[in-house]
Amino acid sequence: MVAIEIKDLTKKYKDKTAVNGLNLNIEQGELFALLGTNGAGKTTTIKMLSGLILPTMGSIKIQGMDMTKDTFRIKSILNVSPQETAIAPNLTVKENLDFMAGVYQIKDKDRKITELVKQFKLEDVLNKRVKTLSGGWQRKVSIAISLINDPQILFLDEPTLGLDVISRKELWQVIQGLKGKITVILTTHYMEEAESLSNRIGIMANGNLIAVDTVQELIKKTKAKSFEDAFVNIVTGGKLA
Amino acid sequence: MRMFNFAKRNFKELIRDPLSLIFEIALPIFLLFIFQQIKIPGDTYKLENFTPGIIVFGFSFITLFTATLVAKDRSSSLLIRLGTSPMRAYDFILGYIFSLLPIVLLQDVLFFVVACLLGLKITFNIILTILISLVISVLFIALGILIGSLVSEKGAGGVGSVVVQLVCFTSGMYFSKDLIGKGFAVVCDVLPFEGSLNLIKGSLNHNYALISVNDIVVFTLYTVAVLIAAIFVFQKKMLNANK
Ligand SMILES: Nc1ncnc2c1ncn2[C@@H]1O[C@H](COP(=O)(O)OP(=O)(O)OP(=O)(O)O)[C@@H](O)[C@H]1O
Ligand SMILES: [Mg+2]
Repeated sequence: MVAIEIKDLTKKYKDKTAVNGLNLNIEQGELFALLGTNGAGKTTTIKMLSGLILPTMGSIKIQGMDMTKDTFRIKSILNVSPQETAIAPNLTVKENLDFMAGVYQIKDKDRKITELVKQFKLEDVLNKRVKTLSGGWQRKVSIAISLINDPQILFLDEPTLGLDVISRKELWQVIQGLKGKITVILTTHYMEEAESLSNRIGIMANGNLIAVDTVQELIKKTKAKSFEDAFVNIVTGGKLA
Repeated sequence: MRMFNFAKRNFKELIRDPLSLIFEIALPIFLLFIFQQIKIPGDTYKLENFTPGIIVFGFSFITLFTATLVAKDRSSSLLIRLGTSPMRAYDFILGYIFSLLPIVLLQDVLFFVVACLLGLKITFNIILTILISLVISVLFIALGILIGSLVSEKGAGGVGSVVVQLVCFTSGMYFSKDLIGKGFAVVCDVLPFEGSLNLIKGSLNHNYALISVNDIVVFTLYTVAVLIAAIFVFQKKMLNANK
């Protein structure tokens, strides 16, 4: 079953086309990695897919529902971990989780919060105000929050940015655990992350989606030695490889 | 209810910023106290007239700090996250308004406690005045949301200060508009601050002759217009990812 159906998705800012005529289907339970250079249009794509900003053109269907008509229903089954850490600074970790549980009107919120605290090992920072935590810890809280409503569709915009090696590996495990159950769209600048986590990869450059395939196929097509070489080859059109 | 959940978060965020409380509560109380120590002739500085002035003055800081909170929220990614959640525009606006009402109530109670200690007669009118001032505070909160939706955090401080100045000069809390001249009086009539003050003054003194039709009309028009504009601008800014 198709979880996300994207047709001719376009976003223009004044004279800048951030996303240009994107066409893509993402399957239920698939983990799709969106790669691309800085400014390629990944975050803008996620913002449109999550209903935050309106596309200039094109359409989005999430689990058969139309984004423009069923925005409210769609929003309650998805969640996003934004590129920049998104938490309430003067609230404690516990209060942040509690607040977001309220935003999604979670019925069994204490159980869910306990589960997330355990999953992300937040016990020691639970009663600290978020603004006093280190960047990496804030990040973990921000990602934990994105699972509060057991989303069916999850967008992770550069989730492991600023995390130490151990935390990164732990987050990979969490993401692996979600695979197959929920649909995940992940952006990253770490090739090994995309390689080890994703079912398929999409590569964006200058607002265009220029390649969509599995890691093996992308390597094969470009006759590259590694996935990183394949990526460089695709993005630069072979000039840098 | 999503709006109350959001209001709870906003309230915590506001109350944990001591600077805002100093301006919203301590400064007006200080002025109330000081102006009673210097015996200035005329009715303006009598407790029953100056306390309402202090209330409206305190509200102007509510505008300033609401604007700052909203602008800060817009610049942080928290609002991006909330923008992808099933919160609707009115959840945001009412959530901001409800979070400030307890602070307004706290202001009112503390201002009246100090005023009574300084010699204001304790009457039932005080309760009525507090209720009316809660309604009036909605204009000041909505104005803060509108400003915070339009400008950056720094800009919110600047524009908010303008509102504070306008309240000082055009509400009539310090001097009557007729002392300056015709042109100035017109400005005072078309701005909602004099009306806000008169509504509070009239109820505290149980003297409805102090309230003109113009006061009521201007106040109501501003409140409705600013509320609608706040909802509209806030939502539009969010949907266009326009910081
Ligand atoms: N609100 C905006 N107004 C104007 N231009 C914008 C806005 N948001 C994004 N852009 C532009 O759109 C383009 C795509 O930006 P986007 O943030 O989607 O890139 P990205 O692929 O996420 O990059 P990065 O890897 O650096 O996060 C950039 O050129 C950016 O400058
Ligand atoms: Mg990005």
